[in-house]
Amino acid sequence: MICPRCDSNTAEKLVDAPADKSWEVYICKTCWFSWRSTEDEAISNPALYDKKFKLDPSAIDKLLAIPPIPPLKKTP
Amino acid sequence: MAYKDLRAFLEKLEIEHQLVRVHDEVMPEPDIAAAGRAAPNIDNGPAVLFEKIKGYHNPAVVNVHGSWANHALMLGMPKNTTVKEQFLELDRRWSKFPVKPHWVSSGPVKEVVIKKEINLFEILPLFRVNQFDGGFYISKALVVTRDLDDYDNHNKQNVGTYRLQVKGKDLLGIQALPFHDIGIHLRKAEELNEPLPVAICIGNDPVLTFMASTPIAYDQSEYEFAGALRQEPVELTKSETGDLDIPAGAEIVLEGYIIPRVRSVEGPFGEFPGSYSGARLQAEIKIHTITHRIKPIFENLYLGIPWTEIDYLMALNTSIPLYRQIKESMPEVAAVNAMYTHGIGTIISTKSRFGGYGKAVAMRLLSTPHGMPYAKIIIVVDEFVDPFNLQQVMWALTTRVRPDKDVILIPNAPGMPLDPTSEPPGMSTKLIIDATTPVAPDVICRETELLATPPKAAEWEKIIRHLMELSNKGVDK
Repeated sequence: MICPRCDSNTAEKLVDAPADKSWEVYICKTCWFSWRSTEDEAISNPALYDKKFKLDPSAIDKLLAIPPIPPLKKTP
Repeated sequence: MAYKDLRAFLEKLEIEHQLVRVHDEVMPEPDIAAAGRAAPNIDNGPAVLFEKIKGYHNPAVVNVHGSWANHALMLGMPKNTTVKEQFLELDRRWSKFPVKPHWVSSGPVKEVVIKKEINLFEILPLFRVNQFDGGFYISKALVVTRDLDDYDNHNKQNVGTYRLQVKGKDLLGIQALPFHDIGIHLRKAEELNEPLPVAICIGNDPVLTFMASTPIAYDQSEYEFAGALRQEPVELTKSETGDLDIPAGAEIVLEGYIIPRVRSVEGPFGEFPGSYSGARLQAEIKIHTITHRIKPIFENLYLGIPWTEIDYLMALNTSIPLYRQIKESMPEVAAVNAMYTHGIGTIISTKSRFGGYGKAVAMRLLSTPHGMPYAKIIIVVDEFVDPFNLQQVMWALTTRVRPDKDVILIPNAPGMPLDPTSEPPGMSTKLIIDATTPVAPDVICRETELLATPPKAAEWEKIIRHLMELSNKGVDK
């Protein structure tokens, strides 16, 4: 399944609606974007997702890490 | 009288007509966030409790802190208490710190214990807060962690509110900034490559949530401060794992650990200045245990362009520490209103010891730890002007400011990076407007005599309020 935000083919179903299966939630394993099947097409359709909020998968490694991972402390 | 838990507070809100129930089924999107935006648009807007949400088992409540009436009720004060009176009462109670918690062996939060097949969606009616958030967020929880170097030290245990993105049935992303207390706990854990135990407490006594977003020192306990503010000890019990202290009356507690030395995409998330903060690589939390009350209530926060609930939640808890820090060296200061975008806009009322004192008070604010980066627009008014009453503040600006003498810019000073005008991010020009009445040796151009309040005006205010209440009751019939 194509992720609406990063366009990777790595999105999959995460859960069904627990009470009545009236919707599903999907999640992308590349950019961790998640959405519900009942949300607006502007959220769920890759072609309609706002370009300002799109995420290029190749840019993920260059995102700022907060907080940075500290150096390991040597055990005595 | 303190509230035992969230439910006790919701009951009080309902009695005071400050909570509305939505009985009809709603959609998670866009209904819940829409109500979170709408409620604070209403004068003294109520908390909104959704009893039935499509596809979910449990109810949700938003805008619990989202009006001055609700804020006053949180403090056990009448709902029409002015903001300045709430400020002064909070300051009085602040001095009672520390009030030690009371530990109990169990509590309502243990009514249901889940240790396998964790699925957050089963328990929490999660919803999208703002349209372009990266996912569904838990935005109003108490996140409890300890210092791995000093694990038994109760004072170094931290209780803070940090944004949490749901990234799986049992996985969360967390924003733990290096200058936050949890950032210190995380650094120590990651230096040792150790998981950091965490308890995420959702749906609490409103004073606990208020304290969790109050900037206090690293070795001061939020629970002991909450005890001072609620005037009774907080009732705590132990988490199932990790020896963490959790409120015995919490609705839901998620237990797990921050996975050491892992970062993955988190965000964007709509943040308090009313704009999105971008996607970043942030830490992850694995959840392995959930305890909750029967039919738990999911309390969550909508935040939008101010004012929304968060602006009430971090208004006076930003103002009080600044007030105390300035007053220590400048006792003439009467009150500090630092509730505009976390203190980016701050109004101080003070008596002037000598000419130019108002400007000196503003510069003292700019040398406090929070004021230095945050405060950008500072207005100083006389001690008899209520800094929480913007009509009075506008009066001071229009009748006390000499633009050629009383307006000062300090270029290229420390700034707040989330402020979109901070250029480069982290640098700002400061604006001081001294709206105090000039006193000697400053030149007083023209003597003016202030109009006095007629005698018995305070008494008449009470009479008119009472007559209005009677009139409102008549309408209810």
